[in-house]
Amino acid sequence: MIAATLAFYLFSALAIVGALNVIFQRNPVHSVLWLIFTFFNAAGLFVLLGAEFVAMILVIVYVGAVAVLFLFVVMMLDINITMVREGFLKYLPVGLLVGGILLAELITVFAGWVMSDSADVLRAAPAPDPSDIGNTEALGLILYTDYIYVFQAAGIILLVAMIGSIVLTHRTRAGVRKQVIGEQNARRPSDTLEVVKVESGKGLQ
Amino acid sequence: MTAIPNLTPAYAEMFLAIAGMALLMVGVFRKSDPIRGVTMLAILAFAVAAVLSISTNGAETVTFNGLFVVNAFTGFAKLLILLGAGLAMLLALPWARNEGVSRYELPVIMVFAVLGMMMMVSANNLLSLYVGLELQSLALYVLAAFNRGNLKATEAGVKYFVLGALASGLLLYGSSLVYGFSGTTSFAGLADALTGAESNAGVIVGIVFVICGFAFKVSAVPFHMWTPDVYEGAPTPVTAFFSVAPKIASLCLFLRILVGPFEDLMDQWRQVLTVICVASMLWGAVAAIAQNNIKRLMAYSSIGHVGYALIGLIAGTQEGARGMIYYMLIYLFMNVGTFAVILSMRVKDRYVESIDDLSGISKTNPAIALALTALMFSMAGIPPLAGFFGKYFVFAAAVNAGLIPLAVIGVLSSVIGAYYYLRLIKIMYFDGSVENFDRPDYSTSLVMGVCALSVVVFIFLPEPLLAGADAAAAALFQG
Amino acid sequence: MEAAAIFLPLVGAFIAGFFGRQIGDRASQVVTCLGVGSAAVLSIPLFFDVAVNGNERVVTIMNWINSGTFETAWALRFDTLSAVMVMTVTCVSSLIHVYSVGYMSHDDSKPRFMAYLSLFTFAMLMLVTADNLVQLFFGWEGVGVVSYLLIGFWFKKPTANAAAIKAFVVNRVGDFGFLLGIFGIYMLFDAVTFDTVFNAVPAHVDDTVTFFGIKGHALTLIALLLFVGAMGKSAQLLLHTWLPDAMEGPTPVSALIHAATMVTAGVFLVARMSPLFEYAPAALEVVTIVGASTAFFAATIGCVQNDIKRVIAYSTCSQLGYMFFACGIGAYPAAIFHLMTHAWFKALLFLGSGSVIHAMSNEQDMRKMGGIWKHVKVTYAMMWIGTLALVAVPPFAGYYSKDMILEAAFGAHTSVGQYAFIMGIGAALLTAFYSGRLLFMTFHGEPRADKETMDHVHESPLVMTLPLAGLALGAIFSGMIGYDLFIGEGRFDFWRDALAVVGEDPIEAAHHVPAWVVWSPMVVTVLGLGLSFHMYMRRPEIPGQLAAKFPGVYQFLLNKWYFDELYDFFFVRPAFWIGNFFWKRGDQGTIDRFGPDGISSSIISGARRLGSVQTGYLYHYAFAMIIGIALFVSWIVVGS
Repeated sequence: MIAATLAFYLFSALAIVGALNVIFQRNPVHSVLWLIFTFFNAAGLFVLLGAEFVAMILVIVYVGAVAVLFLFVVMMLDINITMVREGFLKYLPVGLLVGGILLAELITVFAGWVMSDSADVLRAAPAPDPSDIGNTEALGLILYTDYIYVFQAAGIILLVAMIGSIVLTHRTRAGVRKQVIGEQNARRPSDTLEVVKVESGKGLQ
Repeated sequence: MTAIPNLTPAYAEMFLAIAGMALLMVGVFRKSDPIRGVTMLAILAFAVAAVLSISTNGAETVTFNGLFVVNAFTGFAKLLILLGAGLAMLLALPWARNEGVSRYELPVIMVFAVLGMMMMVSANNLLSLYVGLELQSLALYVLAAFNRGNLKATEAGVKYFVLGALASGLLLYGSSLVYGFSGTTSFAGLADALTGAESNAGVIVGIVFVICGFAFKVSAVPFHMWTPDVYEGAPTPVTAFFSVAPKIASLCLFLRILVGPFEDLMDQWRQVLTVICVASMLWGAVAAIAQNNIKRLMAYSSIGHVGYALIGLIAGTQEGARGMIYYMLIYLFMNVGTFAVILSMRVKDRYVESIDDLSGISKTNPAIALALTALMFSMAGIPPLAGFFGKYFVFAAAVNAGLIPLAVIGVLSSVIGAYYYLRLIKIMYFDGSVENFDRPDYSTSLVMGVCALSVVVFIFLPEPLLAGADAAAAALFQG
Repeated sequence: MEAAAIFLPLVGAFIAGFFGRQIGDRASQVVTCLGVGSAAVLSIPLFFDVAVNGNERVVTIMNWINSGTFETAWALRFDTLSAVMVMTVTCVSSLIHVYSVGYMSHDDSKPRFMAYLSLFTFAMLMLVTADNLVQLFFGWEGVGVVSYLLIGFWFKKPTANAAAIKAFVVNRVGDFGFLLGIFGIYMLFDAVTFDTVFNAVPAHVDDTVTFFGIKGHALTLIALLLFVGAMGKSAQLLLHTWLPDAMEGPTPVSALIHAATMVTAGVFLVARMSPLFEYAPAALEVVTIVGASTAFFAATIGCVQNDIKRVIAYSTCSQLGYMFFACGIGAYPAAIFHLMTHAWFKALLFLGSGSVIHAMSNEQDMRKMGGIWKHVKVTYAMMWIGTLALVAVPPFAGYYSKDMILEAAFGAHTSVGQYAFIMGIGAALLTAFYSGRLLFMTFHGEPRADKETMDHVHESPLVMTLPLAGLALGAIFSGMIGYDLFIGEGRFDFWRDALAVVGEDPIEAAHHVPAWVVWSPMVVTVLGLGLSFHMYMRRPEIPGQLAAKFPGVYQFLLNKWYFDELYDFFFVRPAFWIGNFFWKRGDQGTIDRFGPDGISSSIISGARRLGSVQTGYLYHYAFAMIIGIALFVSWIVVGS
């Protein structure tokens, strides 16, 4: 148990350090790298909770796909860092003040935290014993039954996201040549080739 | 194995989801003028969904493992949403033709947005609430930026997206605080957990966050900043859609969760909402005065109207809920009608949006001037037009709930607000005419006429319209 | 019949006023003339029935106000007093209506004018037939309003507007007193109906009122307040300034309203309230002094005025003074008799001068007239008749009434009576002088008008001269005919209870005055006429020399004793100053600035400020949201 506790604090601390670095790095590429670092630590925390499926998803999806995509975007965009900095410093005092107040309030709230009487029971109920059933299987069992509605809704959200990104970015440019495989395959020599007999001494017209 | 859940209550939503995807296919494979056909089909789909929604609209039914609920209230709210969306769709049709927009995704995304709204309204769990909200929001972000060649539209889309994400974050954060307190996200479970519980700072802060998230969606002060920019930037039919459907959905959901699971914390949320409501009414009334773009003006106007509608919510009584539903119903007609007028403001094949363009149209386009006059008088709350009754019902509810100062502020701010509504009328009737508008399109005129007429004749036939609202409000306060 | 006599003019006014445009000028003139004319025809049998045969009656039309003990009704009271008034008003008015058809022939808004005239007639009839003080006040204000409308009839003329406003405002001062008087009567008697009040007067003779700690005799106070109203309406000294200015109106208006009828309403009021005045001897003394002073004062001014209508206006003022002091010494029948005869000859004089003005192409300044008698012989004759009646030459009407007043004043044997007698004799001298001056300056001597005007001098059309003839008949014979009934032996059967006299009858006393008193008015009249003949016919240079020799006196008189200037200094300018102060400082500077204007401008600036919050920067918006949620959370956390 001691190891698990130590690991929890380690992952948590590193996650916070990573998150702070995401914000405070001057170079946005470094920020993204720190973000990946934070994701790893969060995955570690999930593992400690026995949620290995979520942990792996986090690594594969967020680190493998999302963060890498971020890197591409950040590198492709020409961000003027000094300008961003200017605004940052200008609003830092007010931002800190508001953030500080909010933080202080949330700390007081959490200090006086009381749970509902039924909360423990309710929370424990849906989680099966990890030794009985695998994480993935357990998730699957409720995802496609109890939460089929949410699952399908999420699917539709993704569909809309897809349609939206296509609508907003896809454009057919005039004058751009595209490979049309069907046309290539359908092409016959007779369409393009002409055999010409050249009489000697006359040349081509 | 688990039995297949009861699908009957969700027929309308399921139909709309399938219809959305089918429409996408239709658009892809239809060669000529796809947007026209898809739009017509989408309106048809709304009609069918409305029929399905009415047919399943009976006693309260919960399904999908408690994630989804239908009752008279959700049924009525869905009808309003479908109506608003259908009217907006009718406006979109001539707009797309005039602007040469051929991308059929516009109606498809609107269908999905409406689906998201209906899911929101029927949500019976913080989880289903969130997915419905996200579906709706995502579709709206895309719609805002739909006119992607236009810089303003793109800016509007980005602003709406980023701020919407922030608002969603607030909502999620609040939801997680509530979940942390109660151990459940189901509305029924929350109601159980909160009933009789001593007030807990954590859950109250959670609710405050949730309220702020919703306040963004309904564009209430101080979470309204996106509204003028987005209203101005988005294509006008989309703005018309924005100004009614999502607002109705969010307000109805707002009403459902606040007088449902969170009813016992009324003393707390009432304080927050009162500030939001008063600020919205005043801000909407005052800030609109300095506007010259009519779409921006309508943005501030809608901020103010949300403030008035919130009065009914704050009252927290059945009468208040009924007042709010009335208000949304009337607001729907007033707003869609006004946007129909805005879409009739075409000079030489170009849409114009400045208030000065209305100058003197009483002489050149008397019908439009007359319609807008009726709508503006109604918006200003001048009897005997519909807008007066909308305000009257919420103010009366507030007074009966002992919230007299709120009603007084409401009356005062509607006096201030009357200034800019009446200014439009003054410009139309007493200023020299500038230019003739083009002949308005058929469907735009139809929407304009229907809305203006409903606003005028409301006093004569409120019963059929309001019977549904009464039943809806009653359903909300059954438990 | 009674109601028809009163309401026919109203019907005419209604038709001409609201449908004048539709039915045209001619029809409007006909309908109004018919309305008033039939009223006049009806009034004569009515007069004989009521006054001569003694069938007094009250015709109640409908209840008006019933509130607690306060009861008033619309009722027409016909006794000798009102019958005389009704007859005089309708007859003179109908003649003036006809005259107006000719006089206003070049005007653009004839229906409006005729409607006003008829409306005025109706209001005047309401006034004289009122059965209670509230209805009387209705008529009183009605004639005031129409007077305002008619003085300002040519509303494009600034002077006419100013005169109309002046007339109205000065009358308001008097009306305020009148109203207070009505309040006082209601307070004291708990009623406003005449019979009730008059029957209760003897019971309240010794009542006192305390006002701001000053104890006063109640009836005297009421009588004085009513007299203030009468002073305003009848242009008596201190409240007389509006009458000369009212000559800005068309001449028929001056004749009807500002000579024959409306201005005599004050005299009528005092006569009507005689049962009350008789128990307030102090008030009667005030009435006598004011009346006598006005008679003399106005006559002095009349001697130097150059505007033909103003001379007659001051003459009216002066004659009203006679009527008032007749009332003051208790000779009410003499006052009403003079009122009646005066209505005829003064209307005649005004219409005659109107005819002159008409002939002289709207010239009113007598210095630019002269030598026209050959061209306007009829008018000239009519003016002579009117003048002779005015200066009380027998057998013209004025002789009977005016001499009776003077004799009654002497016969009263009181100090105020003597004062009134002396003033009256002085005024008679001046009256004769200025009347002669008017005639001689206007009709005789060298023509002083330019040639063009002189070439245009012509006799007025028949529609104007016929009414003149009608009035002339009245001016000649009304005195002779009425003498016995009004103030002669038949007066007791004639008046019965309409006029009250307590104690010695001054009319009786008037019949027994020494011979020199009887002859002195005659003497001064001849003297005055002779003097004017000498000064303006034989030695026309004398007036100029006199004016040059006594510039102080001349200026003093020419400027009407500087009343207008004094009022301007003491009332008008301070009122304007106060008004300006409240308007600029109080209303605009304080109430508007912090009220409507302030709120609206702060809202507009607030709108700008709110608009500037809308920077368009995404992070500002996000920041606003964060601040918002921080505030709400803070509030909840701190609050709970």
